Amino acid sequence: MRALKGVSFELVPGEVHALLGENGAGKSTLIKVITGAHQPDGGTLEVGGVEVPGLSPSRARELGIACIYQQPALFPDLTVAENIGLRLKKPGLFSRVRWAGQRGRAAELLKRIGAEISPDAEVRSLSMPEQQLVEIACALGSGARIVIMDEPTASLTQKEQHLLFAVVRDLRASGVGVVYISHRLEEIFALADRVTVLRDGESVGTNPVNDLTESQMIQLMVGREVSALYPPAEGEPGEVVLSLENVGCSGSGVRGVNLEVRAGEIVGLAGLVGAGRTELARVLFGITPGDEGTMRLLGERVAISDPREAISLGIAYVPEDRRKHGVILEMPIAHNMTMAIHRKLFRGGMLRFGAEESLAVNFIRDLGIKAWGPAAPGGSLSGGNQQKVSVARWLATKPKLLILDEPTQGVDVGAKSEIHRIIRGLAKEGLAVLMISSDLPEVLGMSDRVGVMRGGELVKVMERSEADAATVMAAALGTGGTSGKEAA
Amino acid sequence: MTATRGKFTQIVARHESVLLLVIVFEVVLFSMLGRNFLSESNVSNIFRHSVEIGLLALVMTPVILTGGIDLSVGSLVGLCAVVFGILVKESGMSPLAAGMIAVALGTFGGAMNAGLITRLKLPPLIVTLGTFSLFRGLAEAFTKGSESYSGFSDSFLALGNGSVAGLPTQLWIFFAVAAGVWVLVHRTTLGRSFRAIGYAPEGARYAGIPVERNISLAYVLSGAVAGLAAVILVARLGEARANAGVGYELLAITAVVLGGTSIFGGSGTIAGTLLGYLAVALLNNGLGRIISYKIFDQPVSSVARELSGMLTGLLLLGALAATVLAKSLATRRARAQTSPNPKPQTNP
Repeated sequence: MRALKGVSFELVPGEVHALLGENGAGKSTLIKVITGAHQPDGGTLEVGGVEVPGLSPSRARELGIACIYQQPALFPDLTVAENIGLRLKKPGLFSRVRWAGQRGRAAELLKRIGAEISPDAEVRSLSMPEQQLVEIACALGSGARIVIMDEPTASLTQKEQHLLFAVVRDLRASGVGVVYISHRLEEIFALADRVTVLRDGESVGTNPVNDLTESQMIQLMVGREVSALYPPAEGEPGEVVLSLENVGCSGSGVRGVNLEVRAGEIVGLAGLVGAGRTELARVLFGITPGDEGTMRLLGERVAISDPREAISLGIAYVPEDRRKHGVILEMPIAHNMTMAIHRKLFRGGMLRFGAEESLAVNFIRDLGIKAWGPAAPGGSLSGGNQQKVSVARWLATKPKLLILDEPTQGVDVGAKSEIHRIIRGLAKEGLAVLMISSDLPEVLGMSDRVGVMRGGELVKVMERSEADAATVMAAALGTGGTSGKEAA
Repeated sequence: MTATRGKFTQIVARHESVLLLVIVFEVVLFSMLGRNFLSESNVSNIFRHSVEIGLLALVMTPVILTGGIDLSVGSLVGLCAVVFGILVKESGMSPLAAGMIAVALGTFGGAMNAGLITRLKLPPLIVTLGTFSLFRGLAEAFTKGSESYSGFSDSFLALGNGSVAGLPTQLWIFFAVAAGVWVLVHRTTLGRSFRAIGYAPEGARYAGIPVERNISLAYVLSGAVAGLAAVILVARLGEARANAGVGYELLAITAVVLGGTSIFGGSGTIAGTLLGYLAVALLNNGLGRIISYKIFDQPVSSVARELSGMLTGLLLLGALAATVLAKSLATRRARAQTSPNPKPQTNP
C-alpha cells in the first residue's frame, strides 16, 4: 500500500498553508517527506526553486525546514537556553560552551515570539504550550524559512492558542512559510491563507481558504461513496445487551456517555484519533474502570473493575494494538485462542491438550485462518490472520457483547472483507457488537447505528439511514449542524 | 530424506542438545582426568552436595519465565537456616516443627518479594537485590555475626547424609519437587500463564489472566523452596550458620539460563533447567577430583573452587553462543534446502 500517491504541494514565503485530511490520509507521511525522515520513491522536492534529491533530516535543517511536533522533543533536564543552544549549534566533543552568549541568544529569541519564559528555567518545569514556544524559538533561531506545525493546539487552552496564533502571524509577516496541520476547521479559517486537502494519500485540491465553506472542506476530505462491498444487515435487533447512562472515567477523559447496544446489532463508533473511543472500550472492559454513571448488562447493573470480571460477565474486547495486546506472537495460536477461557476449558487448572487442539482446529476452519496448524506461533501469521486469532480468542469465551477496536487496521483488503463478513455473521447469531473504527467507509458500511465521539464524549448517535460521511465527519470535527451534545 | 535431515538439524539446534553434549564432554573429561569420578560414592556425592542449588534452580525457572528474577534466595536460605538452628538448639523444638517453620519463613520471604513487586510495581531485580541484603543481614544479626548452631540429632542429620533405596535421602525430595514443578510449568494453566506474562504482561492482562496474583505465586514458591533447601543444607553440613547459601542464587540462575530459559521471560523448560543444573554440578564436583594434574604448580583439586567459578562462567557463555551459532547454521541450511519451495508450512 502506498501512503502517498502523486501529491503536489507548494508553499510560498509569508503564507500559512493548512493541510487537512482524515486519519491516515497521508498528512504525517507528507511531513516526513518534507523533513527528510522518509525518502519519496517518486517526484521531486524543491526548496527555494532548487531541486533537492535525497533529502536527509540534517540537510533539511540546513535548508531551513523546521518541524514542531505535538509532543515537543526537548531535553527535560536542561534549561531553556541550553536546549536552544544545542539545537542551534551542534557542539563538538570538547568545545567550550559560551554560557553568556547562549543565554543572551535564547532570551532574544523568546522575546521575539513574545514568550514570557526564563532562559534559565528547566524545560521539565514548563507547561506543554511553553515547551512548544521553545520549539518555535529554536526554529526561528535556526533561521527556518519553512516551519511545519503538526496539530500544535491539540493540548493548548484557549488563551494559549491565541498566543500561538499571534506567533504564527508574526512568522508569516517575517516571510516564513508555515505548514499548519489541524483537525479544527475554525483554526484553519482563522489562520490559514490556503488549504490543501489530502484524501487516501492523494491531494484533492489546493484552494484559498476564503473560497471554501466548512461543508465544502468536509466534502473534500471524505468525498467518496460507501462501497456496496459490505455484508447487509438482516432482521431486527433483539433485547438491549449493553446500556450506558452517563458513563465516564475521569482518569482517561471519558465523560457522560449514553448508549445502548442490542443483541444482533452492530454499533459503529467513529471519531478522530484521540476522541476517546478506545478509552471508552477500556472502561467497558475494566482496564481503566469507570467512576461515573451506570452500566447495565442485560438489564443488570454492573461495575467492572478488571478484565477478568468483564470476561465472566460476557464482554469480549478485541484490542486495537494486536501485536501488544491481542495476540502473543511467540505463543502457538492454539494457546492464544484458549487464553481467555482457561477456567472454563481447563477445569482444575490442568491443561488438556486434546480439547485445546480441537477447539483451535475448529476456529482455524470456521474463520478461515491461514496457518500450518494449531501449533504455529502467532507471529508466523499475516496481520489479517493474527486478527482472526484475536477474534477467535474472544469468540471462545462465548460473549454477549463483542467490542472490536479497529478490527481491520493494518489488514490487507482480502482479509478485511473476510473479517467484515465474520463480524456481520456474529451479529446475525445474536451477538451485540460495538465496533470502533477510524475507517469511515467501514463504519458506514458495517454499522446498524453510528455513534460519533469527540473529546471523550459521545456527541451523536445516528441510524444507518441518516449517517453519511459528511455528517459523521462534521460531528467528529465539532462543526456544522451538531453544535451541542445530542446523545441518543 | 530432506525431512529427516531437517529434523536432525532441528534437534541439533535445540538448546537441550547442546547442553547434553556439554554434559557428556564433562563426564568423559573428568572420568579421564579425575580420580574415582564415576565411582558410586562420588556420583552420589555429586548430587548430595548440589541438591540445594538444584532445588533453587527448579523454582527459579517459573520466576524467570514471568520475566522476573529472584536474587534473594541464597540469602533466604541463610536466614531460614539460622532460624531453624535457633529453634532447634535454643528453643528445643523438634527438627520437624522447626523445618516447617523454616519453610513458612521462606514462604513469607517470597511473599514479601511478591508484594513489593506486584503491589508497588517495583522491578524484581531491585526488590530482590534489597531483600538479598536484608535477609542475609537478618541472619547475621540473629547469630551476632559469628555464632553457629550444631549438634543436631542423628535422625535429622540422616536427611543430609543418609540414603534411601541406594540414593541420597535429599535426592528423593529433589525428585518430588522436580516432578511437581514440571507439572506446574508444563501441564497447568498457571504455568501457561507464566509464559504469557513473560512474553507480554499487558497482553496477558487483556486476556483476563490474573497477572499480579500469578507472578506472586512464582515468588512465593521460590521462597518456600528456599526454606526447604535451608533445612536440607543444615542437615548435610550439620551446622546452621549465617553464611549458609552464599552465592546460591547466582548458581541457580546460571543453571536456569544455561538450561535455555530466556532471561527476558516466556520461553524455557524444566528439562533444560535440570540439564543446566547437572552441567554446573558436574563441573563443581569434577574439578575437585583432579588430583594428579597441576595448574600453576598446584593440584587442580586444591583450587577447584576458584576454577569452577571461572569455568561456570565460560560454560554459560559458551553454551549460549553455541546455541546461537547452531541455530543460525540450521536456518541457513533450511533456507538453502527449501529455496525452490520457500513456505512449505502454509496450507490453506
